Amino acid sequence: MSISYKRVRAIFVKDYKEFSRNYAVSIMLIFPVILALLFRKAGSSLPEASGFLFNTSFVILTCFAQACLIAEEKERNTLRSLMLTPATAMDVLIGKSSLVFVMSAVVLAISTFIFGYVPASIWAFVPTIILSIILYTAAGTICGLFSKTLLEASLSILPVAFVFMGAPWGATFVKDYPIFKVLDYVPSSQLVHLLGISNTGYTTGDVLNPLLITLAWTVVLTIVSVVLYQRRLKDE
Amino acid sequence: MDVIQVERIRKRFGNKDALADVSFSIPKGEIFGFLGPSGSGKTTLIKILTAQLNPTSGQARVLDQPAERMQQSAQKMRFGILTDNSGLYERLSIEENLELYRKLYDLPRSSIDKVLQFVNLSGERKKKVNLLSKGMRQRVMLACAIIHEPELLFLDEPTSALDPVNSVHIYKGLRYLNENGTTIFLTTHDMAEAELICNRVAILYRGQIQAIGSPKELKRQHRENVVCVDLINGEAYELPINEETADQIADWMKQGLIDRLETKEPTLGDIFIKMTGSELL
Repeated sequence: MSISYKRVRAIFVKDYKEFSRNYAVSIMLIFPVILALLFRKAGSSLPEASGFLFNTSFVILTCFAQACLIAEEKERNTLRSLMLTPATAMDVLIGKSSLVFVMSAVVLAISTFIFGYVPASIWAFVPTIILSIILYTAAGTICGLFSKTLLEASLSILPVAFVFMGAPWGATFVKDYPIFKVLDYVPSSQLVHLLGISNTGYTTGDVLNPLLITLAWTVVLTIVSVVLYQRRLKDE
Repeated sequence: MDVIQVERIRKRFGNKDALADVSFSIPKGEIFGFLGPSGSGKTTLIKILTAQLNPTSGQARVLDQPAERMQQSAQKMRFGILTDNSGLYERLSIEENLELYRKLYDLPRSSIDKVLQFVNLSGERKKKVNLLSKGMRQRVMLACAIIHEPELLFLDEPTSALDPVNSVHIYKGLRYLNENGTTIFLTTHDMAEAELICNRVAILYRGQIQAIGSPKELKRQHRENVVCVDLINGEAYELPINEETADQIADWMKQGLIDRLETKEPTLGDIFIKMTGSELL
């Protein structure tokens, strides 16, 4: 399937203008920064804080914004109109995802700076964060495609929030409910492992495992979102 | 050369046929009207022709390609579409909406001025879409559909939200587009509109084509074989067309008694009611 840079850019610019005038969604940009400010003082006394900051930001900014952008286009029939122009499914998906990707990357960079987090391995941290943004964007696309309205989109991200934000806390119950061990393979849990790596010593496996598990999730969710997008835009 | 060829298209939703064995073709340069009441299958057919919907059986070719290829970018450059499913970006201005389409079709900046002039909205270009009336929104959607001057234009009820003045403006524009080579496939339930601008029409009812031809042909086929005569003394007659009537009319004409003389022709609406036994909704 062909991808046109011009068309992707046109959709990106259009989405930027729409997003900047949609205060109900664009206000989400400030929440990661607020969280970073709140947890800043806790610092090392709250080791889980960095994981909570990143995972919450991915859900309430990346996933929510993408779900709203897709659902609003569906609600107003503009997505179908867009699909009847020369823009391919990939042009539209990449154009729409680019805005959320750029916003998430910038806001997370600012939040990381404010929070004062210094990664043990920048080479593992940056790719994991990039993959996570793509992963949560895909999750947001899926939520948006299952929603008919903006309101439905806001509700549809609740399962994502519950599973992805709650997974790192699942370890607490593993002793009583061994089934919860599976939550360790959720990307948010892997991100917490990666963020918790000590500067003083870590093995290749410590950084490679979270990266590979996040990569697998990213690939699967991205494929699902693309397939679902193509199917949802054709009537039965 | 036919721009659209439809052969025995059938579309079934559940146990109901939305379209049943529909066949027709549209040559290049024609304005073709697909007439029928709401729910008769007009929009379903447009969706099939633009690859938004697969038919249950039958086949269609559009612009020399099977209809299912209409989702390819190269084919999408060749047609424009305005349906009741078309949408606009509410927080953007008219110009910003058109700017998106201009970039997607890779057109020069002048195309926006041209199309705004066409839909009579040059003075409103900076207005936000959420502040526009229904008629103005319809014109903006039309502008988005024709900004690239397509070879083939699908219009689903294009003037349904417009007042008569704007409708006439749009008709003139469609004629201009048609004269410049655009083939137009139009669905409407407005028989007067079809009569005014279509070269040929098909009447669709319960998923089947009931009649097809030029408005003139259809009216000739269904006209009553009578002539209406109003005399200057106020008398009015409906006489069968035959030799005896011709002699009678010739006499009245010689005496200068005729005020009005016309054959009794049905409107497309009359033909529709006659063929289906149903009123248009």
